[in-house]
Amino acid sequence: MPDIRLDGITKRFGDFTAVKDLNVTFEENTVTCLLGPSGCGKTTLMRMIAGLETPTEGRVRFGERDVTALAPRQRNIGMVFQYPVMYPTLTVEENILLPLRHDRTVDQSERRRRLAEVLEVLQMEDMAGATIGQLDAGSRQRVAVGRAVARYCDIILFDEPTTNVEVNAKLQLIRAFKEVARRLRQTIIYVTHDQTEAMTLADHIALMRDGEIVQHAPPPELYRQCRTEFGGWFIGNPGMNFYRTELHADRTNVRLPFLAREIPVPEGARGDLTVGIRPEHVRLHDSDHGGLAAAEVISRSITIGGQYLVKLAVDDQIIRAKVPSSVGRRLGGRVYLECPDWAVTVFSGGVRLETGTAAAEQSVSSR
Amino acid sequence: MALLEFKGITKTYRGKRALNGVDLEIANDTLTVICGPPQSGKSVLLRLLVGLEAPDGGEITLDGEPLTATAAGARPIGYVPQSFALFPHLTVRTNIAYPLRLAKVGHDEVERRLGQVAELLNIGHLLDHTPDQLSGGEKQRTAVARGLMKDATLFVLDDPLVGLDFKLRERLMEDLREMRRTLGIAFVYVTGDPVEALTMADDLVVLDAGRVVEHSDVLSLYHEPYNLRTAELIGFPACNLLAAEPARGQCHTALFAFEVDGTDSGALPARMSVALRPEDVRLGERDGTLRATGTVRLVENLGAECVVYLAVDDVDLTTTVRVDEGRVPTEGDRIDFTVDPDSLIAFDADSGRRIGRGRRAAHA
Repeated sequence: MPDIRLDGITKRFGDFTAVKDLNVTFEENTVTCLLGPSGCGKTTLMRMIAGLETPTEGRVRFGERDVTALAPRQRNIGMVFQYPVMYPTLTVEENILLPLRHDRTVDQSERRRRLAEVLEVLQMEDMAGATIGQLDAGSRQRVAVGRAVARYCDIILFDEPTTNVEVNAKLQLIRAFKEVARRLRQTIIYVTHDQTEAMTLADHIALMRDGEIVQHAPPPELYRQCRTEFGGWFIGNPGMNFYRTELHADRTNVRLPFLAREIPVPEGARGDLTVGIRPEHVRLHDSDHGGLAAAEVISRSITIGGQYLVKLAVDDQIIRAKVPSSVGRRLGGRVYLECPDWAVTVFSGGVRLETGTAAAEQSVSSR
Repeated sequence: MALLEFKGITKTYRGKRALNGVDLEIANDTLTVICGPPQSGKSVLLRLLVGLEAPDGGEITLDGEPLTATAAGARPIGYVPQSFALFPHLTVRTNIAYPLRLAKVGHDEVERRLGQVAELLNIGHLLDHTPDQLSGGEKQRTAVARGLMKDATLFVLDDPLVGLDFKLRERLMEDLREMRRTLGIAFVYVTGDPVEALTMADDLVVLDAGRVVEHSDVLSLYHEPYNLRTAELIGFPACNLLAAEPARGQCHTALFAFEVDGTDSGALPARMSVALRPEDVRLGERDGTLRATGTVRLVENLGAECVVYLAVDDVDLTTTVRVDEGRVPTEGDRIDFTVDPDSLIAFDADSGRRIGRGRRAAHA
């Protein structure tokens, strides 16, 4: 299956530039998520790959083949939309086979083989005879996936297919995607605003903002070494705590009052800086075992895996900490904050300063 | 006294019972979340509360006064419907003023309230825009503002964040909680998403099949569920439920057997279901009373935490690991784990009634 190469892609709608001069390759046989908030350009980008929009400038290539001028049907792509179009009176099996019916290159036994394969990958064997009208939204989406997959397209595009699906069905669907990518090795591009979905599903995430890709990396790297302040906020559940400060001339340290200490900043840093710390890296203690900052617990709530999300006030600074259930349950009133150096990221002008990166890498590899 | 009370509420649609005798008391100055699976009746309950429909039986009282005979427009209840339902052809100003115009409130009073809520929700600069010019967050704030216009004693939100951007939801959840505290009035908030419910709630009501399954403050409800459905529905990833039966005074699951506190063998029902939270499976530990070995089927790395799906013989087990604590397993690994008996809760599989927690083994 080919990769997808975007070469200087720009898309303008009147005065508005939706996608700005992108140069990027999405690898073959992998799942790439286009991730970002509403209006970041992710859907426009996907529509250009599909051929539903024509780029104002630049070329789209599938491998060596320039497809910029080709209509969607000439590109050998499959698409699954947020609201899949399906035939409610036909069965699951009939819906999946529909696009193959007029394809002369696929004979009857090959059709049966693909159907069986797709039903197995999507874990829908026992629903093959059910009509679409009998299924819940999540199962319907899985049928839509199956229909796109069964055609053996080079590339499959998904547009927020899990947006209208209830939580448990969503999880089933995410698992189905993983199986499709792993077993059928098709190049998948997936558009979403849900970072959890992107983290669990993607081989690579292209994080987008204002028509640009701010970082293109495997999910763990995007989480551990976010290149921008925006990434530190967007990736993470919730995102980083930020503290804005200023580095005075001739100093190499900045003081973090909410940790009651100073941290060294990378060489060359000057002026306005932002310090970012992930909530899961803030440690909370019942007592001060030496120079820790005191904080008041404002509120606590339970989040993923029974962890506690704790909102704290240190003077007028609000800090969020995500702590294990065993710690969160007994907290209240006054606590003491601690955070290891490796978990502190320093940004200048919205971009991560390099020393922080090296420190984070070291800490990760040493574990 | 409770601010709001539902007594024996029933509602049937085309022969199908949507609400099956709902008894519920909701406290003042509290954010109460009603959470349940699809078709559990949660939206129906709200529709009866705001007066869009009438119950077949039972009574709703607000501040001790029966609501059932009061028309929707006259109830002192602010309402934010699902997906906001803003009028697309009207400006933000006209949208927000709508409930008061409907109630024939004078112009000066409308303007006064409008100024207040616009300031509270920071939408003063948007008043002359139409909804199609607004972002998702601005639409939501407009819908909330409209709900707040009435001089309400209660504010009702029907799944207000469904379909919104993930990060936007994160912020709006925080804003809504903050706003409720500022206003000091009661919110009734409906969602089907357990994480949203846990994040938003002071008090949590679990609704299932048209009945209230359980109602308590959110932290107790999570840690001490008194009904099997609560354990099953509230939590993410979903709680593991192990089939069990009694033998020799103990509760036997396919993985391990343990004693249940406060019971003897005669008291254990024939079919049980044992709840085990994903975070209570201690991966990589071998020194515990209850231990087993599983194979890793799938690892979902969310960044800060991983969800690890294990197969232990024929039993599927969901577990979570914080990435900064210990090794993250990889698919195909054989891995030991332990479980503390007192993290297990046994339920009667048929009635859903709680039997008791596992008893911590006495030290030898």
